[in-house]
Amino acid sequence: MNTTASETKTTRTICGYCGVGCSLDLVTRDNRIIAVHPAFDGPANEGALCVKGQFAYDYVHHPDRLTHPLVRDAHGQLQQASWDEALERAAQGFMDVLKKYGRHAVYGVASGRTPSEANYMMQKFIRVGFGTNYIDNCSRA
Amino acid sequence: MSNPLADMEKPDVIFCIGTNMTEAHPVAATRLKKALARGAKMIVADPRRIRLAEMADIYLPIRVGSDTALLLGMAHVIVRENLADQEFIATRTEGYDQLVDHLQEKTPQWAESITGVPAALIEEAAILYGSADKGAIYYTLGITEHICGVENVQSLCNLALLTGNFGREGTGVNPMRGQNNIQGAGDSGALPNNYAGFQPVDDAANQEKFEKAYGRKVDLEKGITKVTALDQCGDTIFAMLIDGENTVVSDPDQKHCIHALKSLDHLVVIDIFLTETAELADVVLPATSWAETDGHFVNTERRIQRVRKAVDPPGEAKPDWWIIGQIAQRMGMRGLDYSSPVPIFDELCELAPIYNGIDWELADGGQYQWPIPYRGHPGTPRLHEDEFINGRGKFSFTDYRDPAETIDDAYPLWLTTGRRLESYHTRTQTGRSEGINELLPEETLEVHPSDAARYGLHDGGWAKMSSRRGAVDVRVETTRRSPQGTVFASFSFADVPINVLTGSGYDPITQTAELKVCPVLVEPIGERVPLAAD
Repeated sequence: MNTTASETKTTRTICGYCGVGCSLDLVTRDNRIIAVHPAFDGPANEGALCVKGQFAYDYVHHPDRLTHPLVRDAHGQLQQASWDEALERAAQGFMDVLKKYGRHAVYGVASGRTPSEANYMMQKFIRVGFGTNYIDNCSRA
Repeated sequence: MSNPLADMEKPDVIFCIGTNMTEAHPVAATRLKKALARGAKMIVADPRRIRLAEMADIYLPIRVGSDTALLLGMAHVIVRENLADQEFIATRTEGYDQLVDHLQEKTPQWAESITGVPAALIEEAAILYGSADKGAIYYTLGITEHICGVENVQSLCNLALLTGNFGREGTGVNPMRGQNNIQGAGDSGALPNNYAGFQPVDDAANQEKFEKAYGRKVDLEKGITKVTALDQCGDTIFAMLIDGENTVVSDPDQKHCIHALKSLDHLVVIDIFLTETAELADVVLPATSWAETDGHFVNTERRIQRVRKAVDPPGEAKPDWWIIGQIAQRMGMRGLDYSSPVPIFDELCELAPIYNGIDWELADGGQYQWPIPYRGHPGTPRLHEDEFINGRGKFSFTDYRDPAETIDDAYPLWLTTGRRLESYHTRTQTGRSEGINELLPEETLEVHPSDAARYGLHDGGWAKMSSRRGAVDVRVETTRRSPQGTVFASFSFADVPINVLTGSGYDPITQTAELKVCPVLVEPIGERVPLAAD
């Protein structure tokens, strides 16, 4: 796409806060959100948004965002790591526990905040990886 | 929800119980305001005099945890006053005669003795709801986060079944889901008892179906819930993968929760910030936020809606589905190597009967509410129109039980917890939003002025609040929103970790924590004692 650096773009999406599912347009420029517009044709909200949906989007660009994987080192400190190193460590840890304690020693907690595709992957990871139903999401607390 | 959000503008009588909708689901609440402006009547039952209560025609100030008693009392009155819909009962329900027997003793006077709401007011509310042509019930966690959450929901269903308020416009029993995709998490099979599309894992036919799809036989036995898994950390559970949940702040009994996660051999957390939970992990993997990812959220009315990437993620952050797939591949698992979210969603649609009628492309417009059982099906905005899933609606013979812990001399006040408009859950997001922090900079404990006087507390002063599990310091706000004897705080602020106190009990069927009831002692303190580093 032939876009200039300062071009403004609008992307239709769904609010990420509560379960009402308000439609909104994210207005972006230079890879940053600069505004949220309520969608008047949104089936759940018909143009309405609350204070969170309308204004609380700046966390997306907050400097606290995690930008690299972290791995706990021998001194107990979380240290920046490459994806390769972190994924290898994550996988190895599950394999070690599986070997030592069996398949009912691993548990997955899916998110009520991520898209369904992430939730589907979480449950498939547990069911395919361990053959158990040791999977839940955060709806009980 | 049994009915679509649009139906919220249609009832003649609205019954809200255990839902602080103007704060937790503000946009949905605008629909109720439209209904009220049109002339609909509203009954609100809540321990606190919330905004909805101020807007109500009848406000029922129940004691926390007494919902079942109120609902049984209302059902008694509906039967006694001949307001039951006999045609609906005869054609669509079963167990009516037994219910009538069961309700014999559940008089409004009996309900008053438990709820503290005058019997006459309970009668008035029951008659208003029972006389409505279109009566709709709305509830949230004020109903479910109790040891009797299941009985509370069943008691609400009894009311709707008694009065024929199912399957029509402006009626129904409607839970308001709290998180943007908590519905989708269940739909997708992230549950210990169900595969995708709520197909029970303990059904051998489903086991076989998924063995074919996944190439691996999964246990026929249900898994354990997260609550049980946390209890068994370091005992039988030794590794956890947590995606996008700040368990340490959102779950009950924080001390227990931190201890549990620390007893694991291996904890991997996927998140967008270094949350209190991620801080305990062995590996933390940076995920894309909501504005940086493609996929679907399913809302409270079962509407499947497309989420679209608008900006690139910061640094090396990756989509959750990619991260999970990568771990899987490094463990040698097959069938988790997707190149985009599209085939993941399409696989979900293929395996979940309630999604069979759609795929990624068809879901693009967001017009489908499940079930969509086959291609060309328009979706199902309103459930139970012609029949219930299991044929007939079954009345439940519920009874009142005391909360897991009740007030006594040591812990004389009821604490109930909840949400506030400006903050979201554990504030990992809203706490990093400048405007929001200006609107709601800190947590306060809402105390009735006479309780404040009785316990030596003053508005703006600090207090120590303790339960059987721990203590937190919190600033006091005197307000008549809290009834005498009950205090309120949200669980959102990590520096006032209210869930240090909660965790007295769990619903035996759903294992949902009784986060809405916790006896506490509140004492004044001069200065705030900073939280000790754990």
